[in-house]
Amino acid sequence: MTGDVFDPEQLSRCISCGFCLPACPTYAMTGDEASSPRGRITLMRALQDGTLPPDDGTLAEQSSFCLGCRACEPVCPAGVEYGSLLEQWRVHQWRGWRRPLVARALMLLVEQRWLLRLSGLVRRAARGRAVTPQAGPTRAAAPAPAAAPGAAAAGGPGAQLMLGCVERGLFPAVSRGAHALAPELAVPTAQGCCGALHAHNGDLAGGERLAERLGADLPGTIVTTSGGCAAHLAAVLGRDRVRELSTWLADRPAGAELRVGGRRARVALQDSCHLRNGLGVFAEPRTLLRQVADYVELPSAAACCGAAGTYSLLRPKESRRILDAKLDEIEAAGVDLVVAVNPGCLRQLRTGLRRRRSPVRAVHLAELLTRVEPPPRPA
Amino acid sequence: MALSATVLAELRGIVGPSHVHDAAGDLVAYARDATPLFSHRPDAVVFPADTAEVAAVLALATRHRVPVVPRGAGSNLCAATVPLRGGIVLVLTRLNAILEVSADELLARTQPGVTSAALADAAAARGLLWAPDPGSRTVATVGGTIATCAGGLRGLKYGVTRNYVLGLEAVLPTGEVIRTGGRLWKDVAGYDLTRLLTGSEGTLAVITEATVALLPAPASANTGVAYFPTLADAGEAVARVIRAGVVPATLEFLDRACIGAVEDFAHLGLRADAGALLLFGDDGPPDLVAAHLDRIGTACVEAGAVEVTTAREVAQAEALLAARRCALPALSRRGGVTILEDATVPRPRIAEMVDRIDAVAARHDVAIATFGHAGDGNLHPTCVLDSAEDHEAVRRAEAAFADIFAAAIDLGGTITGEHGVGAAKLPFLAARLGEDQLALLRRIKSAFDPAGVLNPGKLGS
Repeated sequence: MTGDVFDPEQLSRCISCGFCLPACPTYAMTGDEASSPRGRITLMRALQDGTLPPDDGTLAEQSSFCLGCRACEPVCPAGVEYGSLLEQWRVHQWRGWRRPLVARALMLLVEQRWLLRLSGLVRRAARGRAVTPQAGPTRAAAPAPAAAPGAAAAGGPGAQLMLGCVERGLFPAVSRGAHALAPELAVPTAQGCCGALHAHNGDLAGGERLAERLGADLPGTIVTTSGGCAAHLAAVLGRDRVRELSTWLADRPAGAELRVGGRRARVALQDSCHLRNGLGVFAEPRTLLRQVADYVELPSAAACCGAAGTYSLLRPKESRRILDAKLDEIEAAGVDLVVAVNPGCLRQLRTGLRRRRSPVRAVHLAELLTRVEPPPRPA
Repeated sequence: MALSATVLAELRGIVGPSHVHDAAGDLVAYARDATPLFSHRPDAVVFPADTAEVAAVLALATRHRVPVVPRGAGSNLCAATVPLRGGIVLVLTRLNAILEVSADELLARTQPGVTSAALADAAAARGLLWAPDPGSRTVATVGGTIATCAGGLRGLKYGVTRNYVLGLEAVLPTGEVIRTGGRLWKDVAGYDLTRLLTGSEGTLAVITEATVALLPAPASANTGVAYFPTLADAGEAVARVIRAGVVPATLEFLDRACIGAVEDFAHLGLRADAGALLLFGDDGPPDLVAAHLDRIGTACVEAGAVEVTTAREVAQAEALLAARRCALPALSRRGGVTILEDATVPRPRIAEMVDRIDAVAARHDVAIATFGHAGDGNLHPTCVLDSAEDHEAVRRAEAAFADIFAAAIDLGGTITGEHGVGAAKLPFLAARLGEDQLALLRRIKSAFDPAGVLNPGKLGS
């Protein structure tokens, strides 16, 4: 008897109506009940009541095959909190050595605050002045976050920009762009990781601990440029503490028109699953984009791009299958830019588009609004 | 009964090794459908790719006396796809192509694994309407919709699925492939096997292709809502609408508990303080729709409606209908187990039936919320229990539903209007059909399925 893996109240809320099936990317891929949210909840119940042994192969496979995109949540009339159940499932499934090595390594890395700080510095040093933001024709160059005055110095808990453990290393221009757009945000560099990575990879307690520590590092409102971090932080610290950048900027003018080749740019948005399905935020980034460019809605904008946190690293084959369909759609839409609001999605789209030598470029919302161009593609 | 290594090897030979699942976890996932309280693990799950593979699997099943349960998305509410005797669950989701949509002939040819909503979308793209509209349309497959003869929100004006099935390709349990009916509106050659298979719940043959009738899409549609102090007032409004000679496309009611549950999910601004709500809608030329909605609104006011509004835009009307489609799962927010039933009475006796349901609920001390298709007399009394573990409460709910079915038959109605019989209603079927007819059903079943392998424990068993 396992018995205590899941919150019984959450588990019992599913009535197996199957309304989640059409929203699920892995069910779309396989047509197999076992890889649908309803089927996975049936598996969770079997684990909970001991019908299946904890080391059952299907349990292991399905807990890892799931993207965790939570597309099943907004369509569930019964209000099942699937994302939370998945986190509980992985706590059980990915204990100790059973956690994928890549996830273990990443989790260890992002917990090292000195390393996070260093990664930003190293990255900047390596790139030299090449990416120092000459932020668009209409805006003054933003100071690099590390050089920005800390809010902590200002005393009271104002609003502060979260740098993100992955983002500050891979996409430092995003934070710089965000700070240029919202100069009132303080940018303390002494801040850790929010722990979303941990929560999604079977370390729920670690995920909560890190989120609380980040909450202490950044008292007051936390503004983040990552949809995934926003959803996780909101779940731990409460919704009132956390704002994703587009909701922070929603009420102010987005700036001058973005032009490509002498005409107004055509842009599309890829939703962040956790931002959209977890927090219900999807209108604000679109509103901002419509102000500066011709906005094109991708038919599957709300569907996962396959990045899904660490998924693209853990299950590259499936991730690629999902991405390929998405890229076909992006190219067919005839857009100049596809915009992401989460670093994982940005990395996924940028890598995929480069691999195809596509003329379409992937940028973060903050980069687009500040006209901070992404590094040029290799020829 | 585990399948022998020989049978498993033969199955793998037919559909390919990756399309036969027999690991414990994979079997658990197919132990149930959308029906509460029914569960049984199959011994293998098989995913055929085409008609030939279906035929080979069925022939093998008959040869080895292995039960086979055909399954689409498993969204039915009568345990029609629970493999009560184990054996093979034959999943038809890989047969998911729409083969043809013909605007000239007003028909479509489709494989069974296509969802009802996808077929509706494909039809709409050609200016056509796929009329059957079950609440689960985004999930439910066309194969399952036909196999259960599903109904839905447009039943009042358009009837149930059987009115739209022109022809079927189906595989008999012995492996022969038959084609019933075809592309013709008029075709009376032979027994009407198309109708016999429609609603046969996978007990006679496995549907591998369907030719279905489409209609020209109506020029416009709109929806309105009327709120009433009590469910009886809403029932009176329905009677007045019908007497006024208006047959709207949709006439749905929700009681107070259902309104609250739907509002919790859909946030449409429904009035949670009303005792009942009537959702009405019609389609056709804009002038006619407006006139009909007006007359329905008047009838509602005469019956005591406290508020009547019509949707201002298409999106709002669609949202109202979508919310109604999810009333059942939304109700589950009220407790741990939600048992929905499906009884139909003649339209003038709806109010009487509602009273009887209330009395039954009180007698058995269970909470029963009711919603349904008021226009066609089809009610969904729904019992919400705290937990399936409370066996005493489950027993009381089951006793209550037995009384409700008896009441429906007593009022000249039936035990299911659109969900089917499956395993859940089988014990009540004799009361509806009588022993002689039941015996005939069994003889028909054995003519199709001499070995008794197809969906045992359901119709014809």
